[in-house]
Amino acid sequence: MSVKAFELVPAVERDLLMGDKARINIECIECCGKHLYVGTNDCFIHHFLLDEATSSKGKLIYSSQKLLHKYLGLKKPVTELRAASALERLIVLCDGIVFLVDMVTLETVPSAAGGGAKIRGVTAFCINENPVNGDPFCVEMAVLSSKRRTVQIYMVYEDRVQLAKEVSTPEQPCAVSVDGYFLCLALATQYMILNYNTGASQDLFPYNSEERRPIVKRISREEFLLAAPGGLGMFANAEGVSQRAPVNWSESVIGAAVCFPYVVALDESFITIHSMLDQQLKQTLSFRDGHILQDFEGKVILASTKAVYVLVPLPLERQIQDLLASHRVEEALILTEGAQRNIPKDKFQILHKRILQQAGFIQFGQLQFLEAKEHFRKGQLDVRELISLYPLLLPASSSFTRCHPPLHEFADLNHLAQGDQEKVLRCKKFLISYLGEVRSTEVVNGCREDVDTALLKLYAEQNHESLLDLLASENSCVLADSVPWLEKYHKYFALGLLYHSNGQDSAALQLWIRVVDGDLQDSTRSDLYEYIVDFLCTSSNLDLVWKYADWALLKDPTVGIHVFTRRPASKDQPELNPDDVITYLGKHSRALLLYLEHLVLERRIQKEKFHTHLAVLYLERVLSLLSELPANEEQLTKARERLQAMLRESDLYRVQFLLVKTENCEQLLLERATLHGKLEEHDKALHILVHQLRDFPSAEAFCIWASSCRDSAYRQRLFHLLLGVYLDGSVPGSAPSAAGSNGGEMEMAAVDLLNRHGEVFDAVRVLEMLPEGWSLQLLKPFLGRAVRASMHACRTSQIAVGLAHSENLQLLHDRLKERKKPILISEKKGCHLCHNTFSEPSVVCLPGGVPVHTHCVAQRARDSPTKRQLTNSSNHT
Amino acid sequence: MPDVSKMKKPDVKVVLLGDMNVGKTSLLHRYMDRKFKETISTIGGAFFLKQWGPYNISIWDTAGREQFHGLGSMYCRGAAAVILTYDVTNWQSLAELEERFLSLTDTALQDCIYALVGNKADLTDQQAQLAQDPDGQPQDQTESRDRTDTLLSACPTPPDSPASLSGVHKQVTREDAVALYGRILHYKGLDEKSSLPADKMCFETSAKTGFNVDAMFETLFDLVLPSILRKRNENQRSPTVDLEEYREVGSKRSRSGCC
Repeated sequence: MSVKAFELVPAVERDLLMGDKARINIECIECCGKHLYVGTNDCFIHHFLLDEATSSKGKLIYSSQKLLHKYLGLKKPVTELRAASALERLIVLCDGIVFLVDMVTLETVPSAAGGGAKIRGVTAFCINENPVNGDPFCVEMAVLSSKRRTVQIYMVYEDRVQLAKEVSTPEQPCAVSVDGYFLCLALATQYMILNYNTGASQDLFPYNSEERRPIVKRISREEFLLAAPGGLGMFANAEGVSQRAPVNWSESVIGAAVCFPYVVALDESFITIHSMLDQQLKQTLSFRDGHILQDFEGKVILASTKAVYVLVPLPLERQIQDLLASHRVEEALILTEGAQRNIPKDKFQILHKRILQQAGFIQFGQLQFLEAKEHFRKGQLDVRELISLYPLLLPASSSFTRCHPPLHEFADLNHLAQGDQEKVLRCKKFLISYLGEVRSTEVVNGCREDVDTALLKLYAEQNHESLLDLLASENSCVLADSVPWLEKYHKYFALGLLYHSNGQDSAALQLWIRVVDGDLQDSTRSDLYEYIVDFLCTSSNLDLVWKYADWALLKDPTVGIHVFTRRPASKDQPELNPDDVITYLGKHSRALLLYLEHLVLERRIQKEKFHTHLAVLYLERVLSLLSELPANEEQLTKARERLQAMLRESDLYRVQFLLVKTENCEQLLLERATLHGKLEEHDKALHILVHQLRDFPSAEAFCIWASSCRDSAYRQRLFHLLLGVYLDGSVPGSAPSAAGSNGGEMEMAAVDLLNRHGEVFDAVRVLEMLPEGWSLQLLKPFLGRAVRASMHACRTSQIAVGLAHSENLQLLHDRLKERKKPILISEKKGCHLCHNTFSEPSVVCLPGGVPVHTHCVAQRARDSPTKRQLTNSSNHT
Repeated sequence: MPDVSKMKKPDVKVVLLGDMNVGKTSLLHRYMDRKFKETISTIGGAFFLKQWGPYNISIWDTAGREQFHGLGSMYCRGAAAVILTYDVTNWQSLAELEERFLSLTDTALQDCIYALVGNKADLTDQQAQLAQDPDGQPQDQTESRDRTDTLLSACPTPPDSPASLSGVHKQVTREDAVALYGRILHYKGLDEKSSLPADKMCFETSAKTGFNVDAMFETLFDLVLPSILRKRNENQRSPTVDLEEYREVGSKRSRSGCC
């Protein structure tokens, strides 16, 4: 209840009509434009000019000016008045007679020559507002007669009325309304629809017209409003179907009208106003002695027995605002949407949006966030309206001002929550989710900065996990506004990200470094140091890299070096010059080593400088470990392995340089052997291995390694060399340093070598080299294999020869087969060389099967400077 | 939230009929709002629009009170389905359907389908006490069932056998409903074999727990679809000249003429 939809405004006061004459009552009214006609029970018609004006308070007021009054001379009440403005006639029902009077002079129109202008015995009539006759100067009228159970259709002209149709009804009709061909009738016991053109009828529902005054009111095209039992206002269309739910009136309704979206009804003491949209009673106005309620061209006019009033609808917007003011969101929206067809489309959209937004704020205030969000979304709310409720969330730079008139009554969130911190928190959570949802939509176009900044502040304040997501993705957070906020909540890591997205990488790094160094507290990332290294690693700003790499390396060279070693290789990333890096790393020896390893071992950069440098570093490391006392065996082994691997695998380092460096170190013989090997000084290398180190497996391995990329002859040479060294060493006296037992050892090494790598050796040469006295048994594996290998090679080559021969034969066979087509020669055919015909069967075939004279070929072979060979000449007949 | 569909024209009409206080409004509320709430006696009638696939179905809730009886046939006019509702704990409510409400359906469509719905099954049936609302919250079990009192006073013949459940006796069995369904078909002059079978069209529901409510409405909606389609076809055969259609006819003619 208590929507203020209408206001009752007096139009004609009592003194203008009957003054103090108590017995005179208003019987009927008619309004046509500004002209108001009032019929009274003393048979007068009063004519007023009704002027509309707006009072100083903005209210509509009516002033009426009496133009004329006229006594009709029948001494009976004027029952009904209807204007036919096109004809300038008033149709009057008085004393059971319908007749016409002039609208201006109120003089009775005399009957025309052709027909009468009066109908007698009439109880009621109505005008067809949806006429079927196309004549604009003709009014259609349905008339109920007091005596017959019929409805008569008349055509009313300027000076006559003419019966057009008469239809009978099952009972005496007592009220009628007409639309097109459809008569809506109140009979004695029921309502019915009657098509006066086809005679088809449709019962509506029973109703006792003696108990209650029936109401049949045309409300729109082919739709009627009827008073139903139980005080209902029923809707029925011409097909006899109800398309709207009924409204609940009182039992004693006298008159009703529709003023969309409301149904207005009058009973003895009240005017009730129901909405057609939800059937609810919206307003009740007290109105004593109510007598008449009628609508004229959308204007609802009421009369008591003594005075006339206009029921002025309040502007829709005002009604809606009233509803919203009392937080009746749904009703306000129903009213707004129901009014859609009465408002121009663009205006409606603006109104509708605004109402939706207001509705959203009301629900927001009631913490009904789901509904609020839906309304904000539908109403395309400027998100900043919502953000501005939360103190300090909008950036200082925002140009936003709340819309006027305001969408809600709240000053800010604190005002809304009235100090309830739990409410505040829920509102904040809602805003977080709402902003999170809208920030990627077009709703935030033009205010992206405001939205993102607000969201950032909320995330920081609420310690929300999405803070980092926001900052890591594309965002429009305003830096100046966000910095103090993030600092306040110790979100230094996040702040760094924000600096980064604002292109202030240096500031970001400084901040993060302070966190890592413990100057600032932010536990967001426990691996912040690694993050910084990664950050530097991918940074395209080389100055930054140079500036902060030092810090990273000092912190942890193994991880810090990633700044240089893990830089992704891409075109937009500036390349670091390795030489610069090496210079830079001068004082970080550990990092330098790692970097060189990265260059040489991972990136496989083929540069002598790096290789030598790395080899030297490895060597220095080994030397320094060697000089330590007591020696750390494990480390030393590792370091040596690395050095050896480097020496073996790289071909780029400066061998001589390293050789000099190792010269004085007796412990690095193996390395020196390798270096000699690199220099192809294999005899020296083998000498070291065999005589100094006495490491025969290494000597063997050396031979394999040194010949690994060479042909077998090279390898053979090396193995022979080794064999030679062994044999030399085994001869007593030839190696003065070696003792006798050593000789035997060497001998064994030589035998093992032969037996193990027999395939490499040239057996014949070996046999020549071996001392005479060696037992056959000793060399049996070697010799056995050598003989077998030799046999194998012999047979393999025989097979190869055989196969080649057979292949050759096969090809020959194929060729002959291909060529063995008959070559036809006749006396009519000519030789291709001399162009004479053949005279004898003996011919020579040229390649391609061209027959020529034998003498011609011989001739040609003789003449040809190249002495071409005709190999496949054959004779055919 | 007012539905936008309120402004749309309904394609088909479904009407709820039945004696007062059997739970017609509650059934509709349960189905439309997914809630059971206290309702007051319906005055006159009310209607809801339900979007069913591409169609709008208007569901009319009528007033059961004798006073509004006269309006019934108007509500039923052109209905494609009528839901005859009774109260399983009240024999009279079933009897009223036959005596008072069946004749109202004379104005319904020729091929109107009829459903017999026994509401308040939760009072008599263990199974119906379990909430069946898949998207609703668990039912508030503390909610008092004020209905019982009014029901007992409204019942002309109070149950003489011991109360089975919640102190209320089931007065109408499913067999009673099935038998009435048969009589309805007979009244309508319909052949039992060609009509929808009774076991498909007799439901026992509980608006309170939601038991069988969705199933009942949705079974019905699916069954009225042919009626919608036919109505649409009829509309297409309206005197309005459809230019598209005309062109099609024209092309057909020219084709036949040339052969």
